[in-house]
Amino acid sequence: MITCPSCTRCTRAQAPALLCAGCGAPLGANIDLFAALNLPRRLVIDAVAMERAYHDLSRRIHPDRFAAAPAAARDASMRATALLTRAYRTLRDPVSRGRYWLELHGLKLGENNQRVPAELAAMVFETQERLEELHESRTPENLAAVRARRDEVAGALEAATVELTRNFAAWDEDGGEADERRREALFRDLKAILSKIAYLTTLERDIGRELETARAA
Amino acid sequence: MARIFGIDLGTTNSLIAVMENGAPRVIADPETGRTLLPSVVAIAPEGGVAVGDAAIALEADPKRPSVVIRSVKRYMGLGGGELGAEERRRYEFADFSGPVVRFKIGDRVYTPPQISAEILRALKRRAEAALGEPVERVVVTVPAYFNDAQRQATKDAGRLAGLEVVRLVNEPTAASLAYGLEQLTDGYVAVYDFGGGTFDISILNIKGGVFEVIATNGDTHLGGDDLDQAIVAELLAGLPEEARADRELWNRARAAAEAAKQRLSTAESAEIRLETGAGALARTLSRADFERLAAPIVERSIECCRRALADAKLAPAAIDAVVLVGGSTRSPIVRRRVAEVFGRDPFCTIDPDQVVALGAAVQAGVLMGARSDLLLLDVAPLSLGIETMGGLMERLIHRNSTIPTSVTENFTTAVDNQTHVDIHVLQGEREMARDCRSLARFKLGPIEPAPAGLPRIEVTFLIDANGILNVTARDQRTGREHSVDVKPSYGLTDAEIERMLEESIDLGERDIEERLLIAARNDADQILAALAKQLREYGNLAGDEERRRMAEAAERLAAARAGTDRELISRLVEELNEVSTPFAHRIMDEAIGAALKRKSVDEIS
Repeated sequence: MITCPSCTRCTRAQAPALLCAGCGAPLGANIDLFAALNLPRRLVIDAVAMERAYHDLSRRIHPDRFAAAPAAARDASMRATALLTRAYRTLRDPVSRGRYWLELHGLKLGENNQRVPAELAAMVFETQERLEELHESRTPENLAAVRARRDEVAGALEAATVELTRNFAAWDEDGGEADERRREALFRDLKAILSKIAYLTTLERDIGRELETARAA
Repeated sequence: MARIFGIDLGTTNSLIAVMENGAPRVIADPETGRTLLPSVVAIAPEGGVAVGDAAIALEADPKRPSVVIRSVKRYMGLGGGELGAEERRRYEFADFSGPVVRFKIGDRVYTPPQISAEILRALKRRAEAALGEPVERVVVTVPAYFNDAQRQATKDAGRLAGLEVVRLVNEPTAASLAYGLEQLTDGYVAVYDFGGGTFDISILNIKGGVFEVIATNGDTHLGGDDLDQAIVAELLAGLPEEARADRELWNRARAAAEAAKQRLSTAESAEIRLETGAGALARTLSRADFERLAAPIVERSIECCRRALADAKLAPAAIDAVVLVGGSTRSPIVRRRVAEVFGRDPFCTIDPDQVVALGAAVQAGVLMGARSDLLLLDVAPLSLGIETMGGLMERLIHRNSTIPTSVTENFTTAVDNQTHVDIHVLQGEREMARDCRSLARFKLGPIEPAPAGLPRIEVTFLIDANGILNVTARDQRTGREHSVDVKPSYGLTDAEIERMLEESIDLGERDIEERLLIAARNDADQILAALAKQLREYGNLAGDEERRRMAEAAERLAAARAGTDRELISRLVEELNEVSTPFAHRIMDEAIGAALKRKSVDEIS
């Protein structure tokens, strides 16, 4: 329970929220990121509606609106805005949204995820070979081979993103609320997809760097 | 409540603006009508300051030796050891160590915030004289790519000038506000800001009055100054080393180079003539010559644009409008390259010298609640992190995070009964801590004795809306707030600023104008006292008519002396001098006569 630093009408403590229920001023409380954006806890999010909510809330709580306010209200505005911004940044990107979903349920992409996912092993191995060859000698053939790998990795990344969207939809449909085993399966699935995406993103970055050095040389 | 003013504290020129009837307006000097105040500060060795055109005049005046500092913005937030060899030649410095640059002038030492404060004070005086209302609260613009120390130094300058800096605003963002882009378009806008000493590129997403910066990049030591210096290097290339190290020659070469660069914005060639110890140096610089010198400098700015686009995950074609800001965008080579990179002609309908100040005034309007239709969501330009084991930089806040932004980290002890945890905060994009810029250090504690790993101290790093770091800490077990004594790695401490504020009051640092007025009054006092004494002792030597004329002139002078018109006082001193000269001569003759008489008496005896 917290009290509003701006409120003149009510001084009573209230449940943690972004805005004071009495006067609408920022509270600077610690709440979850869905609540900060006034969104239901659902994984499929309409990007346009979320941006509108973000802009609308920013207009009401941003420190620019509290330049002449007392220090406590200015401080609350800054904290609330920092939270709102983190919420928007985290939930806008599907990958960080998925990671936050795990975090929210006390789970993490653990250290035991260091192993290359089996379905990616061949692709990772092959790409690293091609990168090494290009590193050794910058022939047009080696360059073309790496570019081909880049396209393949980009394709795999796109496919993984589609899988992620499907997983999100499944959560929202039944949420595994009733069925513990269904829930476990969805978590396992989400972890696997996110870890695959992490691998592919690293791979894409390595390819990008190598191509950049080749271009500069 | 008093109005909030907008200030563009530029490398080359500074301006002050304010909202009037819903539109921003730059405030001109009521005497000269000029809107730009050259960011030039002259300091006399014995104290005394002149700013702007008055300082430039002193640069060329050998009778009144002053140290004239240009482009002080380039020194803001730098440590003494960070000055390059070329920069060390420019001025005399007190030392090349310590957390802040110290200019040495006479036997006194000045830091960049103190010198910038003089520019701010001059702007404050100008606006107060023009509008007849006090200027107390201001928005000051800074380059988007300014780091924490540079921002803090700018805030310190405001404090030293007796101003409350309500908000620091990034220059390209301010420029986008001045353009009223919210009325023109919803979409992506790139602001290319090539100023006198700094370069910024910001990419914004504008939607329904919300200006959301999505990426920014830049170089705080890249600007028109570098173009001038490239020309100077070319000009002086044939001269021996000691001639090139001559500060006075270099200053004249810089002025000639700047003038030539400006002419080349419209002309195809420019003549440069420079007197050196070894005769005159004449050179014709064609636009092609200039562009050959400028190309590598302009390319550095283009590289920043590429990085910003990559961070924004946008192709150049996705940008709906490009806006040019800063005096250096007058050079055709700059306009051409920007048009090539973004594939469209840039906007430049507002004077590039004024647009930032106008935008600062608009943001001041937002803060006063007069423009609640607008909202700026800016970003932190550099990643923030801490040094971890093995000298690595662990990133806590990524570059281009919307501000204000905060992150909370838990810290614990590594050995039993450890009483403090040392934390080193860094800013930058490199992997190794030593390659990033040190921002601050602080100690957490005292921690109550406990086995290693048991204490839990929650530290919140918050970058505020000015882009400046604030740190708070809380002991999770006791819930007690820890006071965090953050020691900035660069810049002034609060105690130093306090001392500077006191000193400036104690020493009564005065304007050079004011000092000249005092000198004129002293002259008046001297001549009035001398005349009174002469009239008492030799009154018989003056005729009635002469006595009346002298009395009138003395009266006029005494009246003027009570006022502040220095030139009038000087003129009346001259007049009284002239009127009383015959009388003075007679006194001399009389005195000499008396001496001669004495002499003859002596000789006789």
